[in-house]
Amino acid sequence: MNQVGSVGLIASLAFAAYALVAGAVGGKLRSPRITRSAERAALGFFLMITLAVVALEYMILTNDFHNAYVAEHSNRDLFTFYKVAALWAGQEGSLLFWTWLLSIYSALVVWQNRRKNRQLMPYVVSVLMGTGTFFSLLVFFVANPFQELSLVSSTGSQAFSAPDGNGLNPLLQYHSMVIHPPMLYLGYVGMVVPFAFCMAALITKQLGDNWIRITRRWTMVPWMLLGCGILLGGNWAYAVLGWGGYWGWDPVENASILPWLSGTAFLHSVMIQEKRGMLKVWNVSLVILTFFLSIFGTFLTRSGIVSSVHAFAQSNIGPFFAVFLAIILFFSVTLLFLRLDHLKSENKLDSMVSRESGFLFNNWILLALVFAVFWGTLFPVISKAVQNTTVTVGAPFFNKVAIPMGLLLLLLTGAGPLLAWRKTSFQSLKGNFTLPLIVALVVGAVLFVEGVRDFYAWMTFFLSVFVLVCILGEFWKGARTRMRTAKENFAQAIYNLTMRNTRRYGGYIVHIGIVLLFIGFAGQAFKTDAKGLMQEGDLLRVRNYMLRCDGLTTGDTPNYEYTRALITVTKNGEAFTSMHPEKRFYKASQQPTSYVAIHPTLSEDVYVVLAGLDPDTGKAIIQVFINPLVMWVWIGGVVVLLGTLLALVPSRVEREMAEMRQAQELAVQAGDAY
Amino acid sequence: MRTSKLLKKCCGALRKGGALAPPPSAPFPLPPPLSLRERGDREAVGEGFTAGLKPRPSGVLIRIFNAPFKLGTALLLGTLLAASVARGDTPGKPSVDSIGNQVMCVCGGCVAPLNQCPMLECAEKAEMRAFIKKEIADGKDETAILQDISIRYGVQALTAPPAKGFNLAVWILPGVGLLAGLGMVVVIVRRWRRKPAIVPVPSSASLDPKVLTAVEEEMKATRLG
Repeated sequence: MNQVGSVGLIASLAFAAYALVAGAVGGKLRSPRITRSAERAALGFFLMITLAVVALEYMILTNDFHNAYVAEHSNRDLFTFYKVAALWAGQEGSLLFWTWLLSIYSALVVWQNRRKNRQLMPYVVSVLMGTGTFFSLLVFFVANPFQELSLVSSTGSQAFSAPDGNGLNPLLQYHSMVIHPPMLYLGYVGMVVPFAFCMAALITKQLGDNWIRITRRWTMVPWMLLGCGILLGGNWAYAVLGWGGYWGWDPVENASILPWLSGTAFLHSVMIQEKRGMLKVWNVSLVILTFFLSIFGTFLTRSGIVSSVHAFAQSNIGPFFAVFLAIILFFSVTLLFLRLDHLKSENKLDSMVSRESGFLFNNWILLALVFAVFWGTLFPVISKAVQNTTVTVGAPFFNKVAIPMGLLLLLLTGAGPLLAWRKTSFQSLKGNFTLPLIVALVVGAVLFVEGVRDFYAWMTFFLSVFVLVCILGEFWKGARTRMRTAKENFAQAIYNLTMRNTRRYGGYIVHIGIVLLFIGFAGQAFKTDAKGLMQEGDLLRVRNYMLRCDGLTTGDTPNYEYTRALITVTKNGEAFTSMHPEKRFYKASQQPTSYVAIHPTLSEDVYVVLAGLDPDTGKAIIQVFINPLVMWVWIGGVVVLLGTLLALVPSRVEREMAEMRQAQELAVQAGDAY
Repeated sequence: MRTSKLLKKCCGALRKGGALAPPPSAPFPLPPPLSLRERGDREAVGEGFTAGLKPRPSGVLIRIFNAPFKLGTALLLGTLLAASVARGDTPGKPSVDSIGNQVMCVCGGCVAPLNQCPMLECAEKAEMRAFIKKEIADGKDETAILQDISIRYGVQALTAPPAKGFNLAVWILPGVGLLAGLGMVVVIVRRWRRKPAIVPVPSSASLDPKVLTAVEEEMKATRLG
């Protein structure tokens, strides 16, 4: 199967390189035939990379330890579920997986645009396949997953099959880790599509509404998937790493949030261009930046230039990525400068108090946050280069910088959508913001009296209430109008209102999800923990919870051995739950890991870790965290996902608009004929 | 369909007022299609189609409101930033765990803060925790303990570098970036406000009141149907 995989790789490289050139030539010569040929080559690229992926997965699932990658990242007793995930557990496999996802996106774009956007498509294919060529080169020449395991002796090296593999990294043997990397990669890779359309629009000078409409949708999908991937990663860190948190500002975590933030900025600023014909240069810049940061994220994860707890796969591929990033930047920025004349703003700003200025402020904060996180993440590398001293830039720095900016963004989440385009009157502001402000002040006062004194937490709750009342007020006002004029009941009114403008109300739901996320984040200010050595009958108190150890058991599975603590929890003296944290020792990799026991509720999680056994007393080292409001982080994530999906559904208004556009085009054509 | 007829009438009225030039190739007047936002905004807040065509409110109110708006924004921003700085200046009573969140485990295997090192029997973790315990027992405050840790284990043992020397740059530049961004926003806004619009906005004075009323009624009748 190694040969099959290698054939797939070399063929995919040939297809990608051909499509890159043919696309550019087809576009330049305006030749539909060459363009079709490039598109077919892109489909061939997809088929050949799929062949390579199938070959590697087959070897993993059939325990073919002739293959060095399989021997390194799988073992016989690994659950099938996790064997599938071994594809992206190592450097070579994950780069192959990246390339495969790119080929899927490329095939989808080619199929979706087989009859439309024909002038853009040659260059779109060219850019997609340019990226494909780079990754194919990398996978084939630098990080090839189809290397045979060989035994080196004095007489030379010979093929060798290991009796068993080293197994999957134990930290990766968790259910959300099976879907977290694919989601994250789908997000990263997907950003290539808006970039390709943007470049094609710049090359062909077709910088009207069309490319921006296509790009917005193609940004929303990877943006959503990237967000899901980030949250699943947080869920994994929370459940596996055993330190009671879900976000540690690790460089790899930062790398994933950067394109998400710049993508968020684009999804907002694009509305100014659609609505007012403004911010054209800015939007192109954001598309370029988002793609650049996506590749940068992959580079940071895979190159090992910064130390990270997530650095599961590192090698010496950094320089290749650095060159590719430089090419992207040079090519796209040059093109942008050459097309500045075609990107002039069509309108002027009527007022500082308007939706446009709200979006500008939103973009300002988001980009400042991108810069701060980027700078903090890279500072250790810069420090090493400048002062030859390695420094660590971790959570204290990022919290200090990011929390105030996050709160400003939270404020804009509620205030922005209520500002009118062009100009917002004083009456309108008063009407829209008085009730939310009063409710937020009342809730803020109650929270203060109840003892919420942490400034950031208090501010988060205050702003969250303000934003929620603002957004729910929008739903209420719209529904009330429909109930009055269309004689609908409340549920019908909400449904019809939402479906009539899915983009707008989907956006509001996303904002509600963001508020819930912030509420979850604020809970961290009230985190409590306790630690103790426990044996049967020992008690450990934390806040109003009492933990009793009912003993320790040990067990053995084909994959790992475990020690399990049996903990009974009472709350305010009443029976609450039983929890069974484990310490596992994986046989193949000879590595320990924790299996945290979590009892989640809407108000707080009880989080129990068996950190190990005390070497002197033999007692279990139990650490317990009471983590308030964590559940709201996951709920908020789901709400963001649902809101984005809703915003992707074409609304009745959009369909009507499309019909109107079509009618207008027909009329103009008729006029021309006349 | 009725809506589009009325819109065409409306557009014709605008043209009579000289606000829009007729498209050269169209045999009959056509309205520019409404964007999603234009329709959606007006729909949800219960405003009629004519909301955008009504005479603009006096600029006096906006001018009066602008000052508190800017002041309020500046105050909120200032409060958030001041609070951020203030929090950093008031360390609480140190504990092994509070310090453990601010220093890295130096074992080299976990790449994690001391409190998050997942290694079962990490000698460095035990040694560092013992050192912190001793420092607390000696009555040292958080700043002094962190300073001692940076001397003993190197500055990379801190989860954030001290704000001095070249390391000051890591703390200052995000603020500089924020202010530079604000400067850019101000410049863009000023340019935009000076720039004449390519497409002149029609004045509501040029609209025929009869058409206006008809459009309003039509929208009321159809927009939520």
